[in-house]
Amino acid sequence: MNAHALTALKLTGIAFGAMSLGLLFMGLGRIVSARIQRRIGPPFYQSFIDVIKCFTKTSITHNFVMDLGIIMALGGLIATAFFVPFANFSVLGSSSVVIVLYLMSIGYLGMAMGVSASGNPNATIGISRALALMLGYKIPFVMVIMAMILTYNSSDLLTYALAQNHGFGSWHIFKYPLGFIAVEIAFQAMVGEKPYDHMIAPAEIASGPMVELSGKYLGIGFLLHAVQLYVETGLIVNLFLGGAQTWYIMMVKMFAVYFTTMCINAVMARYRIEQGIRHLWIWAGSFALLQLVYTRIWG
Amino acid sequence: MYLPDGYTTLEKISENDDHILYDLFFGPNHPGMHGNFGYVLDMVGTEILKVRPNAGQLHRGFEKAMENKLWAQNISLIPRVCVPDPDPNEVAYCQAVEAIMGVDIPMRAKYIRSIVLEMSRLGSFLMGMGGVAGALGHYTTMYLMMIDRDLILDLFEALTGARVYHIYNIPGGVRRDIPEGWTDKLLALCDRLDQKLPEWDRLLYENPVVQDRLKGLGYISASEAMASGITGPSLRACGVAADVRIDTPYAAYGEIEVGINLSGGGDALARAVQVRLDFEEAVRIIRRLVAALPGGDFKLDVGNLAKLRVPAGDAYSKVESSKGEFGYYVVSNGGLKPYRVSVRGPSMPAGMYLCHKHLRGMKIDDVAVWMASFAICPPDIDR
Repeated sequence: MNAHALTALKLTGIAFGAMSLGLLFMGLGRIVSARIQRRIGPPFYQSFIDVIKCFTKTSITHNFVMDLGIIMALGGLIATAFFVPFANFSVLGSSSVVIVLYLMSIGYLGMAMGVSASGNPNATIGISRALALMLGYKIPFVMVIMAMILTYNSSDLLTYALAQNHGFGSWHIFKYPLGFIAVEIAFQAMVGEKPYDHMIAPAEIASGPMVELSGKYLGIGFLLHAVQLYVETGLIVNLFLGGAQTWYIMMVKMFAVYFTTMCINAVMARYRIEQGIRHLWIWAGSFALLQLVYTRIWG
Repeated sequence: MYLPDGYTTLEKISENDDHILYDLFFGPNHPGMHGNFGYVLDMVGTEILKVRPNAGQLHRGFEKAMENKLWAQNISLIPRVCVPDPDPNEVAYCQAVEAIMGVDIPMRAKYIRSIVLEMSRLGSFLMGMGGVAGALGHYTTMYLMMIDRDLILDLFEALTGARVYHIYNIPGGVRRDIPEGWTDKLLALCDRLDQKLPEWDRLLYENPVVQDRLKGLGYISASEAMASGITGPSLRACGVAADVRIDTPYAAYGEIEVGINLSGGGDALARAVQVRLDFEEAVRIIRRLVAALPGGDFKLDVGNLAKLRVPAGDAYSKVESSKGEFGYYVVSNGGLKPYRVSVRGPSMPAGMYLCHKHLRGMKIDDVAVWMASFAICPPDIDR
């Protein structure tokens, strides 16, 4: 097998691995929410059943742009997953956090294109909220990344992960505590959990972008969220939680991040969109700015 | 036409590429809508410019249907006027019928009716508070409240044989007496609900996100509330000490102490807190009613209900429901069926009239929360 074929095989494995891991997290997250709400909840494999069921249903599409947008969204997020190191392993060699942030946006833009083409105002409002919220969390996130770039003169996620391989004390959560708080707040918005689940908000905009997705499109919607979870939890683990040397440690750490998110999600209500963005800028932004200034002067 | 600053008038929109006015159907098929009702919102972006209440989608026609049913048959129909709080309808209707008949029901029946009304109030408040939480996306509180509501429904089942529509009150009293040991279970449930309040406070009322969302939303002054016909917790939330149980006591409310607590802010937060205060008071009232529950008959013998003829006459009876004043105006021509029945529901003022003022200029974010804060129950609009 030549090198290109091997790389393609590995990338395919990452794509399916990311989807599977994300779906597993979604299933476990539903159990976590249920237990907090004193319910039993569905089995952990329910998300897999949901996706399989969606893919066996008849799908309704409005036009070609909708098809293209949804595929573009999934493609963009899978491409992002290729650049996120998993257990100190990166197939492409490069794992620049700048590329990760850039490619992540393609996912949202694809979704925006797809659901806007559906013509449903609820979907359009939902996606416009998602893009507005992106402004809220990307700015603090980028400030924290800048602090790390200042320290390491590199934007490589693998470099950050390897720098934390000298024991528990070398984790960036201790080196950049304010940055970690900022990113944790931003992370809540990135994965669209409360108090920042404005994009879905069932009582307000009838589930937003999901309202026009049926059958396979809804299945792709689930997969989008699954890959998003893989990418974003992987990002946090590599940035702050010491990366991981084995795949199971990586999975445990990624789930720990998601578990925290689900616990916060279970006890919070939803902000209004402008309140959410203000909250992100004021709190996540302040912590991130302090971290950046501290790193620039004393780091 | 009212337009916020910065927007053009409707005629100019076609000349202005910056703003597109569109209709958004908020219900009847919308997760934020409470039942067979909707608002057609004229929107620019996410801001509401104009509201058209879209009622008339519940095709049951309660009032007309009641004219074609026997007096007793109507008792199975009227709880549907308010699903979460059905018993006030039964009691108001029965009281009106009894007033026309000129009968006074036994004291035990009055106490049992009051207990049932307070239980129904508790169940409805749990659904209402859970509804506000759900509209804000705070599903944990909603689920926890539904657990406790189910315990109330268990007691209803033991008492009446039904969980949601109890069909328990009849002209002359109630269908059956309280079963052995039932009041002990009720008091144990009251203890549990009292213990739950601090948890709900922490989860919902003291939650900073909830306070940020509700504060200042849908403010209504006391004078405006009274002028528009707002009643119940929404009126008390404006600082007006009005309660049918105190102002014109019915059932056993004249026999026991009924407290009144006012949150008094006038906005959605005040309305939510008012429900919580009323909930606490309802638990106290149940304890007082159980402690003073007299013996004796639980119903008056008015003969075969299937052959009941109510003498010609009319009467208006009103009760304090969890959402406000429920009134039944009943007219009899001496036959086996009512000649006319008219229902006064508490949802009409906010659901049909205040929405024009309050929703205009509001963002789509707040419509469901605003509705939940007024506990708008569409069937009593579409009756």
